[in-house]
Amino acid sequence: MATKPTVAPSLLFPRDIFAALSPSPFLLAHLSPQTQDTPPIRPNGRTAAEFRKPTINTSSLTHCSGSAVVRLGDTAVVCGVRAEILLASDIPNPPASNPTIRSSNPSNTTTNGDEDDATEVSSLSLLVPNIELATGSAPTHLPGSPPSALAQSLTSRIRSLLLSTCLVRAHSLRITYCPPPVTSDPEIPDAPPEEEVKAYWTLYIDTMFISLDGNAFDAAWAAVVAALRDTRLPKAWWDEDLERILCSDVVGESRNLELNGLPVAATFAVFAPNGGLGIVQDDEEEEKAWVLSDPDAFEEGLCLEAVTVTVDCTGRNSRIRRIEKNGGGLIGRELMKSVARRAEERWKEWSAILEKGNT
Amino acid sequence: MAPQALLSHLHRADGSATYSEKGYTIIGSVNGPVEVQRRDELPEEAAIDVNVRPAAGIGSPNERHLETLIQATLRHVILVQNFPRTLIQVTLQVRSLPEEQSTGNGSAILKSSLMLLPHLLNTALLALLSASIPLSTTLTSTVVMILSSGKLLCSPSSADLVRAQSIQSVHVFAFSAQKSLLLAESQGEFDIDEWDEACELAEDICCKETGVAVDEMDVDGKPENLEGFLRDVVREKVEKEQMWKTAP
Repeated sequence: MATKPTVAPSLLFPRDIFAALSPSPFLLAHLSPQTQDTPPIRPNGRTAAEFRKPTINTSSLTHCSGSAVVRLGDTAVVCGVRAEILLASDIPNPPASNPTIRSSNPSNTTTNGDEDDATEVSSLSLLVPNIELATGSAPTHLPGSPPSALAQSLTSRIRSLLLSTCLVRAHSLRITYCPPPVTSDPEIPDAPPEEEVKAYWTLYIDTMFISLDGNAFDAAWAAVVAALRDTRLPKAWWDEDLERILCSDVVGESRNLELNGLPVAATFAVFAPNGGLGIVQDDEEEEKAWVLSDPDAFEEGLCLEAVTVTVDCTGRNSRIRRIEKNGGGLIGRELMKSVARRAEERWKEWSAILEKGNT
Repeated sequence: MAPQALLSHLHRADGSATYSEKGYTIIGSVNGPVEVQRRDELPEEAAIDVNVRPAAGIGSPNERHLETLIQATLRHVILVQNFPRTLIQVTLQVRSLPEEQSTGNGSAILKSSLMLLPHLLNTALLALLSASIPLSTTLTSTVVMILSSGKLLCSPSSADLVRAQSIQSVHVFAFSAQKSLLLAESQGEFDIDEWDEACELAEDICCKETGVAVDEMDVDGKPENLEGFLRDVVREKVEKEQMWKTAP
């Protein structure tokens, strides 16, 4: 005979069951608390404008030219940079603009030079980023399938950001050779020896997500930047007698990559419980929406609209290098200004951590 | 030159459109709502599948990224809640690109896939209109460039780009009919005030209030109005469909 329960079964769910059963009201209940004295706080314990604190560990992979592990909460990314040599004689159609002319006048460092740099790097594909999601990194990711739309989309975003920010300058990837002056007739002043580009360094930037808990782009981009800052290329030169490129194995002769500025990405998600369609109930005067910094996987699943702002404050004034916004119409011109300010704040955090190195 | 549109010219698709502007020609077709594979089925709304096919070769990660962006935007425009557990399939085939994109020379910023995005979005919307898929709003999209001289160029033609010396930044905007900003993709180097200016100009071009029957001639330097263009296209479509009523 079944014993009668002495207490009436409670209608209260444990927290995680509530989150799994009705995620959107769960997030809404956290963001708009019933009482005045409890502050609105996200289920992960952060306020709406709070980012996760990143940690960085560089040079942990020994077989790479440069590497970094970046952790952002439960999102963990490894990035390794491998350098290979691309011989100029192997390039079937060299870029239209002749690099030998430009390398002879080094004063050309204007914006035009930037553009030429980007053209050279992109047309020769000197930077090859790739993103991979490791097996088990996220519950939605199935192993053994071709690269998902997310991985391909991230690869495309990283590549276009690398090119549009000109983060790696083309001249730091060239391996040049200066032929000795012809000394047959010392009377006639020779034309100054022309530098020739004999080869290029090609950087394969492989990024792997060990674990993915939202905000994939920020973590991947930070890992790419940290790995490129860590990259050391060996001294390479053209040997005329052997007619090939030689590399020095002396560590002291290797050099760091010269990077152009320090762009940092900050992602925000917009949570609109009514679907963000602008449908306003009669008794409400305005549709409620929250802009959440650095969303985790749970929040990303509920937010349709996302904004990524990439800023670079290395110069005197901060410059925006990229804005990506899609999926909804709640962030307009006014709100974008405050989002950009939050991205600038985030830049300070990242730059302090990137400058310090290992954390 | 003003954009041109041709609606419902593919007879085997539910809806189709060809859109051409400034040397870009894109064919779009829409099938839907159709049965969805169990794997992609969503219990409460229609799944949207976008395929972007480049002018030459097979799709690359860049096309996957464009598909992701278009999918997220269309999801907001189509009334997906009306068709749970179905699929709306949008296929966009690039037919021709302007010269500076298809040939090898041309700066990297022009060859980025951003330049293609507004045309793809406009084509997708026209194809959806042709298929009579219920929409919550319409969308119009355009591209604005900021030159290093500080001048703003809106949806430049190839001739404008040859004349323009160096481009500082490229901005793509999409607006709904209610003037809310649905998509913004910017790259280059700029600050928030410049972005705001570009956004204002794009808003003017995408959805300016023009009142009655706009048939503005495209005077040199006077940008055409995309909202007006869209209205004209829809009016033409409706007139064609109602022909049986008015015929003598």
